[in-house]
Amino acid sequence: MRTQETPAIDTAGLGKRYGSLWALQDCTVTVPADRVTALIGPNGAGKTTLLKILAGLSRPSAGEVTVLGRRPGQDAGFLDSIGYLAQDIPLYRRLTAGDHLRIFARLNRHWDAAAAADRLAALNIPVSRPVGSLSGGQRAQVGLSLALAKQPRLLLLDEPVAALDPLARREFLASLAGAAAEGGPAVILSSHLLHDLERVCDHLILLSASRTQLCDSIDNVLATHRVLIGPRQQPPAGVTVVKATYAARQSRLLARLDGPVLDPSWDVHEVALEDIVLAYMGEATSPGNSTLTAIGEAS
Amino acid sequence: MNTLTWRLNRNQAQISAAALAALAVLLLITGIAMAGTYHSFLRTCAAAHTCADAHSLLFQDDGVLNVVAYATMAVPLLFGLFWGAPLLAREFEAGTHSLAWTQGVTRHRWLAGTAGWALTAAALWGAAVSALVTWWRLPENAVGIPYPRFSTGIFDIQGIVPVAYSVFAVALGIAAGALFRRLLPAMATTIAVFAGLRFAIAEYLRPHYMTPLTKVFPLAAMGFGAPPATPVGSWVVRALSAIGPNGHNYGDAIQFSFMPAACRSVAQGRIIPCMAARGFHAQAIYQPATRFWAFQGIEAGIFVVLAAALIALTWRLVLTRDA
Repeated sequence: MRTQETPAIDTAGLGKRYGSLWALQDCTVTVPADRVTALIGPNGAGKTTLLKILAGLSRPSAGEVTVLGRRPGQDAGFLDSIGYLAQDIPLYRRLTAGDHLRIFARLNRHWDAAAAADRLAALNIPVSRPVGSLSGGQRAQVGLSLALAKQPRLLLLDEPVAALDPLARREFLASLAGAAAEGGPAVILSSHLLHDLERVCDHLILLSASRTQLCDSIDNVLATHRVLIGPRQQPPAGVTVVKATYAARQSRLLARLDGPVLDPSWDVHEVALEDIVLAYMGEATSPGNSTLTAIGEAS
Repeated sequence: MNTLTWRLNRNQAQISAAALAALAVLLLITGIAMAGTYHSFLRTCAAAHTCADAHSLLFQDDGVLNVVAYATMAVPLLFGLFWGAPLLAREFEAGTHSLAWTQGVTRHRWLAGTAGWALTAAALWGAAVSALVTWWRLPENAVGIPYPRFSTGIFDIQGIVPVAYSVFAVALGIAAGALFRRLLPAMATTIAVFAGLRFAIAEYLRPHYMTPLTKVFPLAAMGFGAPPATPVGSWVVRALSAIGPNGHNYGDAIQFSFMPAACRSVAQGRIIPCMAARGFHAQAIYQPATRFWAFQGIEAGIFVVLAAALIALTWRLVLTRDA
């Protein structure tokens, strides 16, 4: 059913300003329609803002955005094509999960009632108790089931696991991975921790300081980033230094490579995704380098 | 939309229905008794010239019920507080608006559905309460003395204005909820604006919907035991006042300060004839009873227009502001 040519999301110079403060700036990302994308960034990086714009809940102050080829807004066709789950999983607390399913069935055109009921039954979630009395993990599953029952082509989840305990987190991600498998919707889910999402995602958008730092498939990110260890001198040609750490006679550069590093004075090492993400987020490097003194950073 | 609106507001609807039923029972039982008393009284009072006593006769045992009828003046405000204000504010507070706004219905339809039902319910409930009170007051309206249906306060609890007040109060609560997105500020605004506007319009605007009539009396009309000065059932906008030879209105009491010097020393019973001889007369300014429905229509129209403006504001806020 998917049109390969139409990306799930496509933004150019997207920005959102609240008063004089830019919550999101110059965000240019394209995500193909068959990806599960981790939207990573520290708190306040603009993840929620971006997701709200993509869901049509918020209007951009600058730039262009299309979602599945449409501009997000108040048209039923667009609203049918997305599923959205806000932070903290807002639900009508006094209504039961069953009430939610029955009511929302009447607000959507492509509602898959049977699949939603089956999901909740398989997860042993009581459908006749007010959702306010369910656990956080159960509420998250109800929220996910509602979003999936719309049969969206793009599912947007804002920090869905942030409030969950480790077990509920694992169960939530497992059921999300199941839903997103072959034939499921494209998914964008945010977290301030990559660790949460690494197993289920194949694409990465990294936001930091309101700007896009990375938007690529995880395979590509891993393939193009290396740690270079060498003498204290200029970095080799053809690399963009993400983070540099210097010791007395040694430089350690986490860099994006445009091609192979030919200069033999540099040792090239593979690097874990988490280290790449942390480097972009400007946080401390991995514990292995704790003996080195960070005296400068480049980004 | 209808199912969602119903499920989210079922409790309010049920509580309101119960309150309305209780009011209906109360008014029906006492109203039927009152009508019986009134009709038997009417058969005899004309001959005995005691028809003006009908009010005290009708209410001699029912002072509390009279208060209940007056208290229905607060019903529109209750609709505004408990139907209007929470309608959107509660969604924003719980964050469920982002859930509702990402279903397959546009915000236009969502708002039209939710607000439409709340406004319709307010109109229907307001009409039901007003119909009960209007029916209950029929005997007293017919007597017209000393509290005609046109007088301030009684005008406000019957006819069509309670419907308009109810619609306005709910629209106000909805708009305040859309503006503040918090329940308590929305409720506080609803109370303040509703009470303020209702008072200001009833007190300062209503007397001027149509140019009031002036009726001139001899100054003797201001003496003790004077007969009612204006036609039965009319709304006295400015009570019987003393008018000087120069046309100045000296207010509703004859005072030493404005008596001509010659009249200050005459005997008590001669003061009024003395002043009358020097060009003083009395006048009352009033709206005649026949204008009752015109005034109802004008006032209802004002509040319906205000409600429409608030709904337009809400529409704008919901459609243009970010979630």
